[in-house]
Amino acid sequence: MPADPSAQPQDDELSELLNLQMPAESASVTAITDAISEALVRLKVPEEKQLEIGLAVQEALVNAVVHGCNNDPSKEIQCRLQRDARGRIAIIVTDPGPGFSPELLSNPKQGDNVYADHGRGVYLIRQLMDEVHFENGGNEIRMWKY
Amino acid sequence: MDISVRKRSQVQLIHLRGQLRLGQAVDELRQTIEESLGNGDTRFAINLAEVPMVDSSGIGLLVRFLASTKQRGGNIKLVQPSKFAVQTLRLVGVLNLFEVFDDDDAAVQSFA
Repeated sequence: MPADPSAQPQDDELSELLNLQMPAESASVTAITDAISEALVRLKVPEEKQLEIGLAVQEALVNAVVHGCNNDPSKEIQCRLQRDARGRIAIIVTDPGPGFSPELLSNPKQGDNVYADHGRGVYLIRQLMDEVHFENGGNEIRMWKY
Repeated sequence: MDISVRKRSQVQLIHLRGQLRLGQAVDELRQTIEESLGNGDTRFAINLAEVPMVDSSGIGLLVRFLASTKQRGGNIKLVQPSKFAVQTLRLVGVLNLFEVFDDDDAAVQSFA
């Protein structure tokens, strides 16, 4: 049977390109997002995909800082960049927080939510990336760009 | 993030350069607009031609000040947003909240 091209790659097929740790503060979000973006340039990822992945990483890291760590810089966040044999990119962001239930998030495009000044991060990630999984009770996000 | 502000025909014309995202960029733009609001300005044109990316914090800021200015009888209008900024604003359903113009002059004149 031919392999399902949409199946999530197995870990043993992945090569880890970056494994970064950062304190939970907004200045570190910028530094890590820029490091990931620079790696994508070196990998010759098309510019449009670079922007989409970069914004998804930014949103995931901000969520980890604000919601996973309560803006406590003594807490640490991990961000990994991986690539499989087909060139598909995976980003994994892990925080030490209690996690959350992504299905409880409201749709930012519905009703008065459109006028809110927050609540768009996870929705954006899901729109920008091809596959998104929340693991370990929600304190790890694993997202794929094909 | 570089921010330059000029006043033209009672409109605060704000040019941004760099990524509009959580941290220094969003903080500086928030401070700039709050100072202008404090001085009684309610008409803003924000040029996003050199802003390759706007994150959800930047979007939240723009939406919040759009509401603030409209409550005061003013507005925030966008000028030349980059392709990815347009895509992002559309993805989260806020692009149609803003009037968008191709150049500064058109945005400024639209307030007349």
